[in-house]
Amino acid sequence: MSQKNQQKNQRPSSKSPGAAHSTDRRPAAGRKFNERQAAKQQAALVVARRRRNQRIGLGSVVLVLVLVAVLVVAKLSGGGNPSSAASVTSPPAGTPVPAAISGKLTSIPLSTLVAAPTSGLVTSPQAISDPKLSAAGKPDLLYIGAEFCPVCATERWAMYVALSKFGTFSPQPGRIHSAVRDGNIPTLTFYNTTYTSPYFTFTPVETTTNEPDGNYYVPLQSPTAAEQKLWVTHTNESFPWLDFGGKIELTSAQFNPTELVGQSFTNIASMVGNNSTQIGADIDASARVLVQTICSALTDNQPASVCSGMGHG
Amino acid sequence: MAERPLPHWPGLIGTVASVAGLGVAGYLTYEHFTGSSSLVCSDKGIVNCLAVTTSSYAMVAGVPVAVLGLIFFAVMLVLQLPVMWRWLNPIIRRARLAWAVVGLGTVIYLLYAELFEINAICLWCTAVHVLTLVVFVSTVFGTLSTAPLGEELDQPAAYARRDD
Repeated sequence: MSQKNQQKNQRPSSKSPGAAHSTDRRPAAGRKFNERQAAKQQAALVVARRRRNQRIGLGSVVLVLVLVAVLVVAKLSGGGNPSSAASVTSPPAGTPVPAAISGKLTSIPLSTLVAAPTSGLVTSPQAISDPKLSAAGKPDLLYIGAEFCPVCATERWAMYVALSKFGTFSPQPGRIHSAVRDGNIPTLTFYNTTYTSPYFTFTPVETTTNEPDGNYYVPLQSPTAAEQKLWVTHTNESFPWLDFGGKIELTSAQFNPTELVGQSFTNIASMVGNNSTQIGADIDASARVLVQTICSALTDNQPASVCSGMGHG
Repeated sequence: MAERPLPHWPGLIGTVASVAGLGVAGYLTYEHFTGSSSLVCSDKGIVNCLAVTTSSYAMVAGVPVAVLGLIFFAVMLVLQLPVMWRWLNPIIRRARLAWAVVGLGTVIYLLYAELFEINAICLWCTAVHVLTLVVFVSTVFGTLSTAPLGEELDQPAAYARRDD
Protein backbone atom coordinates (compact mmCIF):
# COMPACT_ATOMS: atom_id res chain seq x y z
CA MET A 1 0.00 0.00 0.00
CA SER A 2 1.31 3.40 -0.90
CA GLN A 3 2.16 6.04 1.73
CA LYS A 4 -0.82 8.09 0.61
CA ASN A 5 -3.17 5.20 1.14
CA GLN A 6 -1.69 4.55 4.59
CA GLN A 7 -2.47 8.13 5.57
CA LYS A 8 -6.02 7.78 4.41
CA ASN A 9 -6.49 4.57 6.36
CA GLN A 10 -5.38 6.32 9.57
CA ARG A 11 -8.22 8.83 9.30
CA PRO A 12 -11.10 7.90 11.59
CA SER A 13 -14.06 6.80 9.54
CA SER A 14 -17.27 4.95 10.06
CA LYS A 15 -17.24 3.87 6.47
CA SER A 16 -16.71 0.22 5.56
CA PRO A 17 -13.48 -1.08 3.95
CA GLY A 18 -15.43 -1.22 0.73
CA ALA A 19 -16.12 2.45 0.93
CA ALA A 20 -12.41 3.10 1.48
CA HIS A 21 -11.68 1.07 -1.60
CA SER A 22 -14.18 3.25 -3.45
CA THR A 23 -12.29 6.36 -2.31
CA ASP A 24 -9.15 4.95 -3.81
CA ARG A 25 -10.87 4.78 -7.12
CA ARG A 26 -11.89 8.45 -6.96
CA PRO A 27 -9.12 10.25 -4.99
CA ALA A 28 -9.97 13.78 -6.14
CA ALA A 29 -13.65 13.55 -5.28
CA GLY A 30 -12.90 11.95 -1.94
CA ARG A 31 -10.42 14.62 -1.01
CA LYS A 32 -12.92 17.35 -1.80
CA PHE A 33 -15.55 15.56 0.22
CA ASN A 34 -13.20 15.28 3.20
CA GLU A 35 -12.20 18.91 2.91
CA ARG A 36 -15.84 19.96 2.94
CA GLN A 37 -16.47 17.75 5.93
CA ALA A 38 -13.47 19.19 7.75
CA ALA A 39 -14.55 22.71 6.90
CA LYS A 40 -18.02 21.99 8.23
CA GLN A 41 -16.53 20.52 11.39
CA GLN A 42 -14.28 23.53 11.78
CA ALA A 43 -17.13 25.96 11.27
CA ALA A 44 -19.28 24.08 13.75
CA LEU A 45 -16.50 24.08 16.31
CA VAL A 46 -15.88 27.78 15.84
CA VAL A 47 -19.56 28.49 16.37
CA ALA A 48 -19.60 26.22 19.41
CA ARG A 49 -16.54 27.91 20.82
CA ARG A 50 -18.03 31.33 20.24
CA ARG A 51 -21.16 30.29 22.10
CA ARG A 52 -19.12 28.78 24.90
CA ASN A 53 -17.06 31.96 25.18
CA GLN A 54 -20.21 34.02 25.32
CA ARG A 55 -21.53 31.80 28.10
CA ILE A 56 -18.28 32.05 30.08
CA GLY A 57 -18.09 35.82 29.63
CA LEU A 58 -21.70 36.46 30.43
CA GLY A 59 -21.57 34.00 33.32
CA SER A 60 -18.63 35.75 34.94
CA VAL A 61 -20.22 39.17 34.51
CA VAL A 62 -23.55 37.93 35.85
CA LEU A 63 -21.74 36.36 38.81
CA VAL A 64 -20.10 39.68 39.65
CA LEU A 65 -23.32 41.63 39.27
CA VAL A 66 -25.18 39.12 41.45
CA LEU A 67 -22.48 39.44 44.11
CA VAL A 68 -22.77 43.24 44.07
CA ALA A 69 -26.56 43.02 44.10
CA VAL A 70 -26.47 40.68 47.10
CA LEU A 71 -24.30 43.16 49.01
CA VAL A 72 -26.58 46.07 48.17
CA VAL A 73 -29.77 44.16 48.98
CA ALA A 74 -28.29 42.90 52.24
CA LYS A 75 -27.41 46.48 53.12
CA LEU A 76 -30.82 47.85 52.20
CA SER A 77 -32.55 45.14 54.21
CA GLY A 78 -30.57 46.12 57.28
CA GLY A 79 -28.27 43.13 57.28
CA GLY A 80 -24.91 42.96 58.96
CA ASN A 81 -23.74 42.76 62.53
CA PRO A 82 -25.04 45.79 64.37
CA SER A 83 -22.56 45.38 67.21
CA SER A 84 -19.61 45.79 64.89
CA ALA A 85 -21.10 47.90 62.14
CA ALA A 86 -21.02 51.39 63.50
CA SER A 87 -22.99 53.93 61.53
CA VAL A 88 -21.47 57.07 60.11
CA THR A 89 -22.99 59.01 62.95
CA SER A 90 -24.90 58.02 66.02
CA PRO A 91 -27.56 59.90 67.96
CA PRO A 92 -25.91 62.42 70.30
CA ALA A 93 -27.17 60.45 73.30
CA GLY A 94 -26.01 57.23 71.71
CA THR A 95 -27.93 54.01 71.49
CA PRO A 96 -28.89 52.14 74.66
CA VAL A 97 -26.32 49.77 76.05
CA PRO A 98 -27.61 46.32 77.02
CA ALA A 99 -28.17 46.14 80.78
CA ALA A 100 -25.81 43.20 81.04
CA ILE A 101 -22.96 45.28 79.66
CA SER A 102 -23.64 48.44 81.68
CA GLY A 103 -24.13 46.24 84.74
CA LYS A 104 -20.74 44.66 84.19
CA LEU A 105 -18.95 47.97 83.58
CA THR A 106 -20.38 49.52 86.74
CA SER A 107 -19.35 46.65 88.95
CA ILE A 108 -15.75 45.89 88.07
CA PRO A 109 -14.23 44.79 91.40
CA LEU A 110 -11.88 47.30 93.00
CA SER A 111 -9.38 44.49 93.45
CA THR A 112 -9.28 44.08 89.68
CA LEU A 113 -8.58 47.78 89.20
CA VAL A 114 -5.84 47.67 91.82
CA ALA A 115 -4.25 44.63 90.20
CA ALA A 116 -4.17 46.17 86.73
CA PRO A 117 -0.63 46.72 85.43
CA THR A 118 0.13 50.34 84.60
CA SER A 119 2.74 49.65 81.95
CA GLY A 120 0.37 50.71 79.18
CA LEU A 121 -0.39 54.12 80.65
CA VAL A 122 1.28 57.07 78.99
CA THR A 123 -0.36 60.05 80.70
CA SER A 124 -1.30 60.79 84.28
CA PRO A 125 -3.26 63.51 86.08
CA GLN A 126 -1.30 66.60 87.11
CA ALA A 127 -1.79 68.95 90.05
CA ILE A 128 -3.10 72.44 89.35
CA SER A 129 -3.73 75.29 91.75
CA ASP A 130 -6.98 76.87 90.68
CA PRO A 131 -9.67 78.19 92.98
CA LYS A 132 -11.91 75.37 94.17
CA LEU A 133 -14.26 74.20 91.44
CA SER A 134 -17.67 73.34 92.85
CA ALA A 135 -21.33 73.04 91.94
CA ALA A 136 -24.42 72.71 94.15
CA GLY A 137 -22.23 72.92 97.20
CA LYS A 138 -20.08 69.96 96.22
CA PRO A 139 -16.70 69.65 94.56
CA ASP A 140 -17.14 69.39 90.81
CA LEU A 141 -15.55 67.15 88.24
CA LEU A 142 -15.64 69.04 84.96
CA TYR A 143 -15.18 67.09 81.78
CA ILE A 144 -14.93 68.81 78.40
CA GLY A 145 -14.77 66.60 75.38
CA ALA A 146 -16.49 65.87 72.09
CA GLU A 147 -18.20 62.87 70.64
CA PHE A 148 -16.06 62.86 67.48
CA CYS A 149 -12.87 62.84 69.53
CA PRO A 150 -11.03 59.48 69.61
CA VAL A 151 -8.96 60.40 72.65
CA CYS A 152 -12.12 61.27 74.56
CA ALA A 153 -13.66 58.00 73.36
CA THR A 154 -10.73 56.15 74.84
CA GLU A 155 -10.84 57.83 78.25
CA ARG A 156 -14.62 57.58 78.67
CA TRP A 157 -14.42 53.81 79.23
CA ALA A 158 -12.29 54.32 82.32
CA MET A 159 -14.34 57.33 83.39
CA TYR A 160 -17.54 55.29 83.34
CA VAL A 161 -15.96 52.50 85.37
CA ALA A 162 -14.46 54.91 87.90
CA LEU A 163 -17.43 57.24 88.29
CA SER A 164 -19.71 54.27 88.91
CA LYS A 165 -17.81 53.64 92.15
CA PHE A 166 -19.05 56.92 93.61
CA GLY A 167 -22.52 57.36 92.17
CA THR A 168 -24.98 56.41 89.47
CA PHE A 169 -25.90 57.52 85.97
CA SER A 170 -29.48 57.95 84.89
CA PRO A 171 -30.02 57.02 82.19
CA GLN A 172 -26.92 54.98 81.60
CA PRO A 173 -24.56 56.45 79.00
CA GLY A 174 -25.46 55.46 75.44
CA ARG A 175 -23.20 53.73 73.00
CA ILE A 176 -21.55 55.89 70.34
CA HIS A 177 -18.29 55.94 68.46
CA SER A 178 -15.75 58.58 67.64
CA ALA A 179 -16.05 60.02 64.14
CA VAL A 180 -15.52 57.46 61.43
CA ARG A 181 -12.76 59.63 60.05
CA ASP A 182 -11.25 59.84 63.53
CA GLY A 183 -10.68 56.21 64.34
CA ASN A 184 -14.31 55.12 64.63
CA ILE A 185 -13.62 54.05 68.23
CA PRO A 186 -16.62 52.55 70.05
CA THR A 187 -17.34 54.23 73.34
CA LEU A 188 -20.00 55.77 75.59
CA THR A 189 -21.28 59.31 75.71
CA PHE A 190 -22.13 61.36 78.78
CA TYR A 191 -24.47 63.59 76.78
CA ASN A 192 -28.01 63.60 78.21
CA THR A 193 -27.07 61.60 81.26
CA THR A 194 -27.40 62.73 84.84
CA TYR A 195 -24.85 61.63 87.36
CA THR A 196 -25.75 61.56 91.04
CA SER A 197 -23.25 61.13 93.84
CA PRO A 198 -23.33 62.08 97.50
CA TYR A 199 -19.72 63.23 97.26
CA PHE A 200 -19.30 65.42 94.19
CA THR A 201 -20.97 66.63 91.02
CA PHE A 202 -20.01 65.62 87.54
CA THR A 203 -20.36 68.17 84.73
CA PRO A 204 -19.85 66.63 81.30
CA VAL A 205 -19.70 68.91 78.27
CA GLU A 206 -19.69 67.14 74.90
CA THR A 207 -19.00 70.06 72.61
CA THR A 208 -19.83 68.35 69.31
CA THR A 209 -21.49 65.25 67.94
CA ASN A 210 -19.55 62.82 65.77
CA GLU A 211 -21.34 64.09 62.65
CA PRO A 212 -18.96 65.85 60.27
CA ASP A 213 -19.89 69.38 59.29
CA GLY A 214 -17.44 70.60 56.70
CA ASN A 215 -14.00 70.40 58.20
CA TYR A 216 -15.36 70.09 61.75
CA TYR A 217 -18.38 68.64 63.53
CA VAL A 218 -21.94 69.55 64.39
CA PRO A 219 -21.95 71.52 67.68
CA LEU A 220 -23.68 69.90 70.66
CA GLN A 221 -23.02 71.55 74.03
CA SER A 222 -21.18 74.68 75.07
CA PRO A 223 -19.22 75.18 78.26
CA THR A 224 -20.18 78.13 80.43
CA ALA A 225 -18.03 81.22 80.19
CA ALA A 226 -16.22 80.26 83.42
CA GLU A 227 -15.64 76.72 82.19
CA GLN A 228 -14.47 78.03 78.83
CA LYS A 229 -11.98 80.32 80.53
CA LEU A 230 -10.52 77.48 82.57
CA TRP A 231 -10.41 75.23 79.55
CA VAL A 232 -8.59 77.81 77.43
CA THR A 233 -6.18 78.60 80.23
CA HIS A 234 -5.17 75.01 80.84
CA THR A 235 -5.32 73.37 77.42
CA ASN A 236 -6.09 76.01 74.81
CA GLU A 237 -9.29 74.10 74.10
CA SER A 238 -7.96 70.61 73.50
CA PHE A 239 -9.86 67.40 74.26
CA PRO A 240 -10.42 65.73 76.59
CA TRP A 241 -9.96 67.88 79.65
CA LEU A 242 -10.87 66.81 83.17
CA ASP A 243 -10.71 69.27 86.03
CA PHE A 244 -10.93 67.55 89.42
CA GLY A 245 -12.28 70.37 91.62
CA GLY A 246 -9.59 72.81 90.54
CA LYS A 247 -6.91 70.64 92.16
CA ILE A 248 -5.91 68.14 89.50
CA GLU A 249 -6.30 67.99 85.73
CA LEU A 250 -6.07 65.31 83.08
CA THR A 251 -5.43 66.56 79.57
CA SER A 252 -5.50 63.40 77.48
CA ALA A 253 -6.42 59.76 77.49
CA GLN A 254 -4.22 57.71 79.76
CA PHE A 255 -3.43 55.09 77.13
CA ASN A 256 -3.00 55.07 73.39
CA PRO A 257 -6.33 55.33 71.52
CA THR A 258 -5.01 53.28 68.62
CA GLU A 259 -5.39 50.21 70.82
CA LEU A 260 -9.15 50.53 70.42
CA VAL A 261 -9.23 51.15 66.67
CA GLY A 262 -10.95 48.30 64.86
CA GLN A 263 -12.47 46.87 68.04
CA SER A 264 -16.22 46.48 68.41
CA PHE A 265 -18.09 47.92 71.38
CA THR A 266 -18.87 44.44 72.65
CA ASN A 267 -15.25 43.33 72.36
CA ILE A 268 -13.98 46.27 74.36
CA ALA A 269 -16.69 45.86 76.97
CA SER A 270 -15.84 42.19 77.32
CA MET A 271 -12.18 43.02 77.96
CA VAL A 272 -12.85 45.55 80.71
CA GLY A 273 -12.10 43.82 84.00
CA ASN A 274 -9.81 41.32 82.29
CA ASN A 275 -6.25 42.36 83.06
CA SER A 276 -4.83 39.58 80.93
CA THR A 277 -5.75 41.60 77.84
CA GLN A 278 -3.87 44.77 76.98
CA ILE A 279 -7.05 46.77 76.43
CA GLY A 280 -8.67 45.46 79.60
CA ALA A 281 -5.54 46.14 81.65
CA ASP A 282 -5.21 49.67 80.28
CA ILE A 283 -8.84 50.58 80.92
CA ASP A 284 -8.73 49.05 84.40
CA ALA A 285 -5.47 50.81 85.26
CA SER A 286 -6.85 54.11 83.94
CA ALA A 287 -9.99 53.65 86.02
CA ARG A 288 -7.88 52.99 89.10
CA VAL A 289 -5.96 56.23 88.57
CA LEU A 290 -9.23 58.11 88.18
CA VAL A 291 -10.64 56.56 91.36
CA GLN A 292 -7.47 57.52 93.24
CA THR A 293 -7.65 61.04 91.86
CA ILE A 294 -11.31 61.44 92.75
CA CYS A 295 -10.65 60.14 96.26
CA SER A 296 -7.85 62.61 96.84
CA ALA A 297 -9.22 65.66 95.02
CA LEU A 298 -12.97 65.43 95.37
CA THR A 299 -14.21 63.13 98.16
CA ASP A 300 -11.63 63.41 100.87
CA ASN A 301 -11.11 59.66 100.57
CA GLN A 302 -14.78 58.87 100.92
CA PRO A 303 -16.32 56.38 100.82
CA ALA A 304 -13.75 54.35 102.64
CA SER A 305 -15.02 51.18 100.99
CA VAL A 306 -13.76 52.60 97.71
CA CYS A 307 -10.83 54.79 98.62
CA SER A 308 -9.09 52.73 101.25
CA GLY A 309 -6.65 50.39 99.70
CA MET A 310 -6.58 52.28 96.40
CA GLY A 311 -3.43 54.25 97.23
CA HIS A 312 -3.07 57.93 96.50
CA GLY A 313 -3.83 59.56 93.22
CA MET B 1 -6.20 27.73 8.21
CA ALA B 2 -6.98 31.41 7.83
CA GLU B 3 -6.21 33.53 10.90
CA ARG B 4 -9.05 35.65 12.24
CA PRO B 5 -8.40 39.37 12.51
CA LEU B 6 -7.95 40.34 16.20
CA PRO B 7 -10.66 42.68 17.49
CA HIS B 8 -9.59 46.20 18.41
CA TRP B 9 -12.18 46.89 21.08
CA PRO B 10 -10.52 45.13 24.06
CA GLY B 11 -7.43 47.32 23.77
CA LEU B 12 -9.48 50.43 23.14
CA ILE B 13 -11.92 49.96 26.03
CA GLY B 14 -9.24 48.70 28.41
CA THR B 15 -6.89 51.57 27.67
CA VAL B 16 -9.56 54.27 28.00
CA ALA B 17 -10.91 52.78 31.24
CA SER B 18 -7.41 52.38 32.67
CA VAL B 19 -6.49 55.98 31.85
CA ALA B 20 -9.71 57.17 33.49
CA GLY B 21 -9.05 54.94 36.50
CA LEU B 22 -5.52 56.25 36.73
CA GLY B 23 -6.89 59.79 36.79
CA VAL B 24 -9.45 59.17 39.53
CA ALA B 25 -7.04 57.11 41.63
CA GLY B 26 -4.46 59.85 41.19
CA TYR B 27 -6.93 62.42 42.44
CA LEU B 28 -7.79 60.28 45.48
CA THR B 29 -4.08 59.77 46.16
CA TYR B 30 -3.50 63.51 45.99
CA GLU B 31 -6.39 64.09 48.39
CA HIS B 32 -5.08 61.42 50.72
CA PHE B 33 -1.71 63.09 51.06
CA THR B 34 -3.14 66.59 51.36
CA GLY B 35 -5.55 65.79 54.17
CA SER B 36 -8.61 65.47 51.93
CA SER B 37 -9.11 69.17 52.43
CA SER B 38 -10.35 69.80 48.89
CA LEU B 39 -12.25 66.58 48.20
CA VAL B 40 -15.18 67.47 45.97
CA CYS B 41 -17.88 65.31 47.53
CA SER B 42 -20.69 65.33 50.03
CA ASP B 43 -19.60 64.78 53.62
CA LYS B 44 -22.99 64.16 55.15
CA GLY B 45 -25.34 61.21 55.04
CA ILE B 46 -24.72 57.96 53.23
CA VAL B 47 -22.67 59.62 50.49
CA ASN B 48 -19.64 60.71 52.44
CA CYS B 49 -16.29 60.53 50.67
CA LEU B 50 -14.42 61.95 53.64
CA ALA B 51 -15.75 59.26 55.96
CA VAL B 52 -14.52 56.59 53.56
CA THR B 53 -11.19 58.06 52.53
CA THR B 54 -10.19 58.80 56.11
CA SER B 55 -11.48 55.58 57.64
CA SER B 56 -9.32 52.73 58.89
CA TYR B 57 -10.21 50.89 55.66
CA ALA B 58 -8.43 53.53 53.61
CA MET B 59 -5.12 51.87 54.47
CA VAL B 60 -3.98 48.30 53.86
CA ALA B 61 -0.81 47.27 55.68
CA GLY B 62 0.15 50.91 55.99
CA VAL B 63 -0.35 51.62 52.29
CA PRO B 64 -3.18 53.96 51.30
CA VAL B 65 -5.84 52.21 49.22
CA ALA B 66 -5.72 55.16 46.83
CA VAL B 67 -2.07 54.37 46.12
CA LEU B 68 -2.94 50.71 45.56
CA GLY B 69 -5.56 51.89 43.06
CA LEU B 70 -2.96 53.99 41.32
CA ILE B 71 -0.61 51.02 41.06
CA PHE B 72 -3.43 48.80 39.85
CA PHE B 73 -4.41 51.10 37.00
CA ALA B 74 -0.80 51.88 36.05
CA VAL B 75 -0.05 48.19 35.60
CA MET B 76 -3.40 47.58 33.96
CA LEU B 77 -2.83 50.41 31.49
CA VAL B 78 0.33 48.72 30.26
CA LEU B 79 -1.44 45.38 29.97
CA GLN B 80 -4.39 46.91 28.14
CA LEU B 81 -2.44 48.75 25.46
CA PRO B 82 -3.52 47.61 21.97
CA VAL B 83 0.00 46.40 21.25
CA MET B 84 -0.25 44.12 24.29
CA TRP B 85 -3.56 42.74 23.07
CA ARG B 86 -1.99 41.98 19.70
CA TRP B 87 0.75 40.07 21.49
CA LEU B 88 -0.83 36.66 22.04
CA ASN B 89 1.76 35.54 24.56
CA PRO B 90 -0.15 33.29 26.98
CA ILE B 91 1.73 34.70 29.97
CA ILE B 92 0.61 38.23 29.13
CA ARG B 93 -2.94 37.09 28.52
CA ARG B 94 -3.12 35.25 31.83
CA ALA B 95 -1.41 38.05 33.75
CA ARG B 96 -3.91 40.58 32.37
CA LEU B 97 -6.85 38.38 33.31
CA ALA B 98 -5.43 37.62 36.76
CA TRP B 99 -4.74 41.31 37.38
CA ALA B 100 -8.33 42.16 36.43
CA VAL B 101 -9.60 39.50 38.83
CA VAL B 102 -7.41 40.92 41.61
CA GLY B 103 -8.86 44.36 40.95
CA LEU B 104 -12.40 43.07 40.98
CA GLY B 105 -11.82 41.14 44.22
CA THR B 106 -10.49 44.28 45.86
CA VAL B 107 -13.52 46.20 44.65
CA ILE B 108 -15.88 43.64 46.19
CA TYR B 109 -14.00 43.85 49.50
CA LEU B 110 -14.02 47.65 49.52
CA LEU B 111 -17.70 47.73 48.60
CA TYR B 112 -18.40 45.47 51.56
CA ALA B 113 -16.36 47.75 53.82
CA GLU B 114 -18.24 50.83 52.60
CA LEU B 115 -21.68 49.29 53.00
CA PHE B 116 -21.25 47.34 56.22
CA GLU B 117 -18.29 48.71 58.15
CA ILE B 118 -18.04 52.40 57.31
CA ASN B 119 -21.67 52.82 56.35
CA ALA B 120 -20.83 55.47 53.82
CA ILE B 121 -20.35 55.55 50.07
CA CYS B 122 -17.59 57.50 48.39
CA LEU B 123 -18.60 58.61 44.89
CA TRP B 124 -15.01 58.88 43.69
CA CYS B 125 -14.30 55.40 44.99
CA THR B 126 -17.46 54.18 43.25
CA ALA B 127 -16.16 55.67 40.00
CA VAL B 128 -12.97 53.66 40.48
CA HIS B 129 -15.03 50.54 41.22
CA VAL B 130 -17.10 50.98 38.05
CA LEU B 131 -13.98 51.49 35.94
CA THR B 132 -12.44 48.38 37.46
CA LEU B 133 -15.60 46.47 36.56
CA VAL B 134 -15.46 47.80 33.00
CA VAL B 135 -11.84 46.73 32.72
CA PHE B 136 -12.73 43.31 34.10
CA VAL B 137 -15.61 42.74 31.68
CA SER B 138 -13.59 44.00 28.74
CA THR B 139 -10.65 41.80 29.72
CA VAL B 140 -12.78 38.68 30.12
CA PHE B 141 -14.52 39.08 26.77
CA GLY B 142 -11.35 40.29 25.10
CA THR B 143 -9.37 37.31 26.34
CA LEU B 144 -12.03 34.89 25.19
CA SER B 145 -12.48 36.48 21.80
CA THR B 146 -8.77 36.62 21.07
CA ALA B 147 -7.93 33.11 22.23
CA PRO B 148 -5.89 31.33 19.53
CA LEU B 149 -8.02 28.72 17.79
CA GLY B 150 -5.53 25.95 18.41
CA GLU B 151 -5.95 26.28 22.17
CA GLU B 152 -9.43 24.81 22.20
CA LEU B 153 -9.40 23.03 18.83
CA ASP B 154 -6.34 20.85 19.14
CA GLN B 155 -8.03 17.66 18.07
CA PRO B 156 -9.96 18.97 15.05
CA ALA B 157 -6.93 21.03 14.02
CA ALA B 158 -4.87 17.83 13.88
CA TYR B 159 -7.42 16.30 11.56
CA ALA B 160 -7.33 19.35 9.38
CA ARG B 161 -3.55 19.22 9.17
CA ARG B 162 -3.58 15.59 8.09
CA ASP B 163 -6.04 16.45 5.37
CA ASP B 164 -3.85 19.14 3.92
